[in-house]
Amino acid sequence: MFIGTDKLTHTYMPGTPFASDALKSITFSLEQGSFTLLIGSSGSGKTTLIQHLNGLLKPTSGKVYFDGKSIGPDKSALLSVRRRIGLVFQMPEDQFFSETVFDEIAYAPRNLGLTENKVEENVIKAVERVGLGHKDLLDRHPFQLSAGQKRLVAFAAVLSIEPEVLILDEPAASLDPAGKRMLFDLLSRLNRTEKITVLVSTHHLDEIAALADNLVVLNEGRLKMAGEAKEILARRTELQDLGLALPQVTEIIDELAVRGLPVSTDIYSLSAACKEIIRLKRADQE
Amino acid sequence: MAVLKAETIIEAKALYYSYAGEGEDSSPALNGVDLMIDQGEYLALLGANGSGKTTLLKLLNALLMPSQGEVLVKGISTVEAQQLELVRQTCGMIFQNPDNQIVATTVEEDIAFGLENLALPSKEIRRRVDAVAKRLGLTHLLQHPPHLLSGGEKQRTAIAGILAMQPACILMDEPTAMLDPAGRFEVLKTVKDLNKVESLAVVHVTHDPAEAVEADRIVVLERGRIVADGKPEEILTDLKLLHKLGLQGTVAAELADLLRQEGLNLPAAIMLNRELVESLCSSEQIS
Amino acid sequence: MSRSITLGHYLPGNSVIHQMNPRIKVPVLIIILAMLFAFKSIPGLLAMLIAVLLLFLVARVPFLYLLKGLRPILYIALFALIIFLFFTKGGVVLLRLGPLTVESDGLEEGLFVIIRLVTLVLFSLLLTLTTTPLSLTHGLGYYLKPLSRIGLPAEEVVMIMAIALRFIPTLIEESQRLMRAQVSRGADFESGSIFSKAKNLTPLIVPLFVSAFRRADELALAMEARGYRLGAKRTRLHEDLIKLQDWLVLLIALLLLAAVIYINI
Repeated sequence: MFIGTDKLTHTYMPGTPFASDALKSITFSLEQGSFTLLIGSSGSGKTTLIQHLNGLLKPTSGKVYFDGKSIGPDKSALLSVRRRIGLVFQMPEDQFFSETVFDEIAYAPRNLGLTENKVEENVIKAVERVGLGHKDLLDRHPFQLSAGQKRLVAFAAVLSIEPEVLILDEPAASLDPAGKRMLFDLLSRLNRTEKITVLVSTHHLDEIAALADNLVVLNEGRLKMAGEAKEILARRTELQDLGLALPQVTEIIDELAVRGLPVSTDIYSLSAACKEIIRLKRADQE
Repeated sequence: MAVLKAETIIEAKALYYSYAGEGEDSSPALNGVDLMIDQGEYLALLGANGSGKTTLLKLLNALLMPSQGEVLVKGISTVEAQQLELVRQTCGMIFQNPDNQIVATTVEEDIAFGLENLALPSKEIRRRVDAVAKRLGLTHLLQHPPHLLSGGEKQRTAIAGILAMQPACILMDEPTAMLDPAGRFEVLKTVKDLNKVESLAVVHVTHDPAEAVEADRIVVLERGRIVADGKPEEILTDLKLLHKLGLQGTVAAELADLLRQEGLNLPAAIMLNRELVESLCSSEQIS
Repeated sequence: MSRSITLGHYLPGNSVIHQMNPRIKVPVLIIILAMLFAFKSIPGLLAMLIAVLLLFLVARVPFLYLLKGLRPILYIALFALIIFLFFTKGGVVLLRLGPLTVESDGLEEGLFVIIRLVTLVLFSLLLTLTTTPLSLTHGLGYYLKPLSRIGLPAEEVVMIMAIALRFIPTLIEESQRLMRAQVSRGADFESGSIFSKAKNLTPLIVPLFVSAFRRADELALAMEARGYRLGAKRTRLHEDLIKLQDWLVLLIALLLLAAVIYINI
């Protein structure tokens, strides 16, 4: 097991009349190098689970594992976990506080004790990785950037620690179509080319479902489903009952299947749908 | 549909607006907008970030005053200070972030907030709060503090607060941007229902084509100007225009476009899933 | 996550005490505090202590909450007791510890002060446990109203306090989220000298301020859009009716105070 939890339970305000279980006995694991989607409606416990994977919360009971070791309360061990697992919060640009984009991106590597030379090297590399390659951008004030640029700077601010694992909480929230496409390309590149393990929490499956190897589904703090993406996305009605929307393009494909076309229903992106329909039509013609 | 001319609720004439403090050379946020909105009309306002959608909405609610031109709400100009209350009562506004528009510590107090500002008697406020809560299915939540509500419930509380003021029009600035699919569905269904049943005019700012499909009419803004104004089936299938503005058509329109590029023969005006499925099933498309 | 945050001590309920009008509750509490200081001997205070415990029963507040409420004054009470035990002289010598003695007057005075302190805290606790912060605000705001004649905008002050109450849970949640976000970027808010600690807080304070200002901006717009205007006349959903039993409670409290002062025990 690379990353995972064992019967992880988290209770907010334990021992008061306001106690509520955010996570109930969650056991799941991620393979190294995999791309996993964590899905569930708001309040299903996605954010709480993600924060546990970075040792930001203490389990009420159960354990969290990373690279064969239990993530414990020991401070230096926690720091080494955070050096290897990068966590991008929801609306990460809300955390900005620096005078320049450079300082913002350099914050994490500096905290983790890298030398200033290495910090600079990492910052420049991170900016290139997210596709914000202009040098003059680094001297600008982060608040002056456009919404899309801010989001990319926030990603760079985590990539600058060169993590082996990247965990993102609703990374596409309030991005416009162009911003989303850029994000999905970036995630796909980081996972496929650079072999970074990726976990993305989301409640929108459009396009991103096509990138995932695995899916983990939470509902009201419980693990509902976990496994190969293909297999779980095939359980359409169960997903819909949990208030989760399938990719819109999948609805079209499903409708074609209902109408008797011999179409493969394992389709979650526009390009895949296009390919499949063309294949079908060509086969039809012959 | 009746052909009777519906009453005009909002009329914007040659609207210009510049934010103070911007440089001399920067273009105004609104640059000559003419727009009429009729009673019971569902209008979607489409545009990329910075196209002036939110600015326009604020002008319609008298939160901003035009630099030039004027806005008439039921014939009353928004610059008339004495009539401000009436303008805001006629055009209620829902904002994007549900957290930052709930004022009170319980749902019922929040629904009552606008009515309290109108200085209505307590009994009348009570009656209207209860009626609106019932109408929107919020009765069981009346005593809840806002931080215990889901996103969809928060937005419906905000809508209830507007509805209690008995408006003729509801202005919404990306009301579903921060909601999950269930919450989004909840809010859209509520608004659609109010539009149909109470014949409330709706102005809905969005960049989601799946939401704009629901409108009677779509107005597209670019850099403070209206660049398109038409029915959803005209606008949402005009991918050339939408892509140029950084927007997208519906998924069906996008897929149809890809298929056409691959040589499939499909009709031009495909907007809905149903239409695409229908033409894919109907005949031979390979040319 | 938001479910984890509650405001103040308020415990929902609908006992007689919960239903009392806050405009009466506040002066009644003041009268009771005056009574506590009017009593000159332990038996009177004990009667008050028993009375407040009975009222807790009436309000159906679990015993646990009393203990929790008293915990903050534990050390003050112990400290006071020790001071009185060893430094107030008079009466019979009860205990000798080397050069120090505990005498009966010291014990008596120590107990007197502690019972008074505990009873005082319990009465105040009863108020905050049975009154929502919002209605408490309106209750207090009522007494601010006369001050509007000398230029204090009482209505607006109450509105500001009510909004503050509304946003406290939101801001607490946000600061927790920010703290975790920066910790995940390797921030350390715990170690170091006071000076470096303060400096390390920048990544927390700056975004918190930015967001608070943005919220304030958006909230102001939302309020304005719903017809709120500074200084305009407003009504309220909940009419602030003072019922007969409220007046009776106030009357009884006043009579008791007069009696205590008159009897002078």
